[in-house]
Amino acid sequence: MIWLVHSAIVILYPRTAALPGAADCDLEAFLLRFRREAAPLVWLGVVLGAVLFHLTPVFTVRVPLPAFMLPPDVADRHASRISGSRIYLVRQSIFLVKLAAGLAWGAHPDVRARFALPALAPDPGTWRQH
Amino acid sequence: MIRGAHVAFRGKDERDLDAEVDYVVVGSGAGGATAAVTLARGGAEVAIVEAGAWRDPEDYPLSSYGGMRDLMDDWGAQVTRGRALWPVVQARTVGGTTVINSAICVRTPDDIFEQWERDHGISGLRSRVLAAEDRVERELTVEEVPASSRGRSNLLAKQGADALGWTDSHYMRRYTEECLGRGQCLQGCRDRRKQSTNLNYVPETQDRGGLVVSSAPVERILSEGTRAVGVTGRFVHPTTRAQGTRFVVRARKAVVVAASATHSPVLLFRSGVASPALGNYFRAHPGTGIFGCYDEPVDMNVGATQGWASVAFRKNPGLKLETLAIPPELVASRFAGGGRELMERLADYRHIAMWCHAVRAESTGTVRAPFFGSRPVVRYELDGRDMLTFREGMKLLARQHFAAGANAILPGIAGMPFKLGKDDLGLLDDAPLDPQRYIAILSHLFGGCVMGKDPRTSVVDARGRVHGWTGLVVADASVIPTNLGVNPQHTIMGLAATFAADLLGG
Repeated sequence: MIWLVHSAIVILYPRTAALPGAADCDLEAFLLRFRREAAPLVWLGVVLGAVLFHLTPVFTVRVPLPAFMLPPDVADRHASRISGSRIYLVRQSIFLVKLAAGLAWGAHPDVRARFALPALAPDPGTWRQH
Repeated sequence: MIRGAHVAFRGKDERDLDAEVDYVVVGSGAGGATAAVTLARGGAEVAIVEAGAWRDPEDYPLSSYGGMRDLMDDWGAQVTRGRALWPVVQARTVGGTTVINSAICVRTPDDIFEQWERDHGISGLRSRVLAAEDRVERELTVEEVPASSRGRSNLLAKQGADALGWTDSHYMRRYTEECLGRGQCLQGCRDRRKQSTNLNYVPETQDRGGLVVSSAPVERILSEGTRAVGVTGRFVHPTTRAQGTRFVVRARKAVVVAASATHSPVLLFRSGVASPALGNYFRAHPGTGIFGCYDEPVDMNVGATQGWASVAFRKNPGLKLETLAIPPELVASRFAGGGRELMERLADYRHIAMWCHAVRAESTGTVRAPFFGSRPVVRYELDGRDMLTFREGMKLLARQHFAAGANAILPGIAGMPFKLGKDDLGLLDDAPLDPQRYIAILSHLFGGCVMGKDPRTSVVDARGRVHGWTGLVVADASVIPTNLGVNPQHTIMGLAATFAADLLGG
């Protein structure tokens, strides 16, 4: 499942000349943490969104292959079209994948540096115990 | 009871918690903490029972991911059921939503008290609530956003509104003390400048001998007939969500419920409160944002997260306008598109400013207890009239951006162009009225346990007491029977202090 989500996110957030892509942002480690820590329904929603992303190129770019098997330029066209789908639930499902991915991508020090923002220290994850 | 103690998560292998106090307060946000400290100052023994963990500023997360994990209720995954799935934003932590909001302080408008009296038979609250709000302002330090912390997005918003001649355009007054403008309100202020209730009223309650029980979601109010005598539930671990041992906190005098507009009705449902109005008349401020694109960098995350507002349109058409800075993590999903197209859009992050509206919606929804799990079921959608107001707000924000010098706007409406220039502004006149076309949120919530004179149409009376029950009071946003059209924290605190004072006075 991690692989499915990972590959969808890498297509949705590719590396460009101006910005690092999701693949440059410790995505694997993030997804492992996300799967472990997120509310089960949130993780399930992300997985279902990724599955939908991979199964729909036949509708968006008329190629009967899963998105992870598409050539990069076709996959990119699929990412653009599926994100703007006219079907609300499809759009929302991809939105959820983009949201999860954005949490990893946008907080990465390399991305923040491009936006003149300081790197974030790790989240403490602590609380008052006594 | 151990006076002045804090009891955090207790595992199943530890002993149950059994305590007895005068008053049990469920929830520690704006309503709960204010009620608790009022009762404690009156000499009562108080216990605050909070579903979330107690996190001090040193514990606050820095990332949006951490904010969702550590501070939000259910990861922020609560959404409305209706035509569109719009998130219902609330916190779950000691301090409640005061930890993650922008601490905006707006006094309850006079017309609200008039409306409550005229439509709901609630009289005698105005002077007492406003006196309580005065006191809260003095205690929590309310200041206008300092000039050094305004940031360019807030300055531009003021400039745009002033250029349009709006009757109200102001820098916000907030419960902060010398805000440093780090743009981290939504993850909690690690600099302790934001005066969230976990930093003041909750510790003061504890200092006055109160008991604080955290990571302790209340499942049920204990009762003897129709008299509330305490609360019970099981501890839940803050990270693993594993259930711990059971807790029972008994109340000699009363139980005060302040668990939020979504959780309070559910708790009353589960506790056998049978009111025909329970869970009804749920209202909100649904809203969305428009990005403006500027030639020079705006760096909206530098400066106060929210620093400018206008209530010029509160009555007609029913809108509050505000700035809101969001970090790259959230802009990434907020922008339409995927692939290279999305990345090219994101490259302009430094040059965009997001301003948003909150609709004073008249549409009502319901809150119900779920068959399984603990997540409240919120049914809510905007009717046609409110959607017209929603669209009107988009147009106002767009005009404001252009008046401030934006070269384009990003309306974020599905099916419309990603970017609109000044000459395209007319397209917004025909923007769709389907909620599914917008990415919106419900930020301010009201109702579900509304107050009123008539038990057939309200759950509590004008003193927050549940009709037909003894020793059961609701003191949070769920009692508010109308849409305020302004940020509700101050009203919630004023009402909670008033209801608590009533309890002390018998």
